[in-house]
Amino acid sequence: MKKALLTSLSLLSSLLLSAPGSMPAYAAADAANPPLLTVLNPAVTAELADRVPLAPRLDTLEGKTIYLVDTNWGGFGNNDILLREMQAWFAEHLPGVKTILKSKQGNFVTDDPALWKEIADARADGVIIGVAG
Amino acid sequence: MSREAGAIESQYGIPTVAAAGENVVRFGVEANVAYGTGMPIRYVAFPFPFSGQKREVLKHYVEGADKVSGKPMMQAIVDGLTNPLTAAEQLSGRPPQAAVAPRLLPPDTEDNLQRLFKENQWTDFNPVILPTEERVAAMLKGTRHKPDEIVKTASGTLGANRPFTVEKVAILAVMAGARPEYLPVILALSTLAPYQDSTTSIANMVVVSGPIRTEIGMNAGLGALGPNNEANAVIGRTMTLIHKVIQGYQEGVTGFASLSNPLRYNNLTLAENEEALPEGWLPFHVQMGFKPQDSVVTVFTGWNFVNSAGWVEEHYPPQMLMRDYMRSLPGLGAATILMDPSVATLLKDSQGFATNAALGEWFARNVEETAATYWGNSIVSSMIGPLADQGLEPYATWKKAPAETLIKPFPNAGNIRTVVAGGNSASVWFVSDFRPGRGALVDDWR
Repeated sequence: MKKALLTSLSLLSSLLLSAPGSMPAYAAADAANPPLLTVLNPAVTAELADRVPLAPRLDTLEGKTIYLVDTNWGGFGNNDILLREMQAWFAEHLPGVKTILKSKQGNFVTDDPALWKEIADARADGVIIGVAG
Repeated sequence: MSREAGAIESQYGIPTVAAAGENVVRFGVEANVAYGTGMPIRYVAFPFPFSGQKREVLKHYVEGADKVSGKPMMQAIVDGLTNPLTAAEQLSGRPPQAAVAPRLLPPDTEDNLQRLFKENQWTDFNPVILPTEERVAAMLKGTRHKPDEIVKTASGTLGANRPFTVEKVAILAVMAGARPEYLPVILALSTLAPYQDSTTSIANMVVVSGPIRTEIGMNAGLGALGPNNEANAVIGRTMTLIHKVIQGYQEGVTGFASLSNPLRYNNLTLAENEEALPEGWLPFHVQMGFKPQDSVVTVFTGWNFVNSAGWVEEHYPPQMLMRDYMRSLPGLGAATILMDPSVATLLKDSQGFATNAALGEWFARNVEETAATYWGNSIVSSMIGPLADQGLEPYATWKKAPAETLIKPFPNAGNIRTVVAGGNSASVWFVSDFRPGRGALVDDWR
């Protein structure tokens, strides 16, 4: 009988200790002073790119040749409209500027080194390239 | 566009102004200059959205204000070509580099470290397993490679160099909950970074092929695409962490997916059920030129994953419904059909497709859509439209065709591939526009 009572008390004690909201004293102390962990750092350090200066700017656009280059974004002529509007603006407001409209070969993700060389060989003074969005 | 403008300026010394939508300029340019090109290209910006606007609206954009400087657009362009360079624009050479991140973080409590990992964008916002030295050392037993071995350098988004070691991959594997035996797959997967990003809702799919699948207990059978298997779940999660931590993808800083894609949560990670392929059908990695005994991980990229919903019925053969659903995919010419083994068996035994290549050829001949629908998608019009204008066939003919003309948007049967997975509890399938990239050999990382 005594043994059965002790067993019951022990069970009751376990239930109380494990009941929601209750916590053994040693656990409460641990919660107040949680252990510190040392962990590895996942961060990867990015390398800053080598800096490349821009080309010197023009002192004036008067008498200069500016290429407007269509990157082919969209593929159905939105760039063309904007670049043609720019061309019209130059004709009206800066008529001393010669503008030439060109399209890249390939699509907007491909490079066109042959066009860059063509523009350089033609002694272009400046380039407006667009439009992506 | 920074690349093109940079080439014109740096190779030929011609001053250049780049014009873009403000979405492009607002996102990414700063990080691209710092970590990618090193060249502070002068941009002007039109309002967003630029694409999709009527022509008369676009005309007004040229008369309106530049979103970068606030000046009238054309004045900003003239200034961009003529205003003298600033000191920052004349810098050259290697800039002072940031100190390499310390190997260990300062000791802290688990709660604080979990918070720190989230704040630093090192998680998928679920709790991670903190990478203690003991856990990472145990993970590294999964490979013979040394912890300090550089896996890759050109791993960053926007062209950034972000060199990373075997140990960094092991750290992420621990964080995701991986077992050491998964590490060779995860290391091979890390060599395929940077993963494709876009302002559009692009996503990735990871397919593991060959003996490694069964060695590490991946699920290629029942519930293969669901959250039902430790290896599938954890490898897919690790890819997300590689994308964020190693690749350095941060939404709004180095990435700008407007809506993103829920498929990114686990990157559709699965193994192929190679054992259940009908005789004559090749496993995916063998379709891609690997040997059957090779263990390979492949990252696919795409947007759409269209579900059969129901099972195969006799009155409408599966290839017919697949064909119909494939019309909804943007026609960049690639498709992947993911199917239960029962579907592959029906396609072979009932429909006569002796090989999966024969099925691809059938789709190339039979998927049709109108020219209007084909060109209506901006991915197609952007990527293929200029090639059509330049005379590349069949696209040049398709672009000239009347809107209702039927065209065949998957002209190359070799770009239509199959992956077989599933548990033979329903004859279901998906069609997708996912295109596989180059596979990586897992055996190189054991």
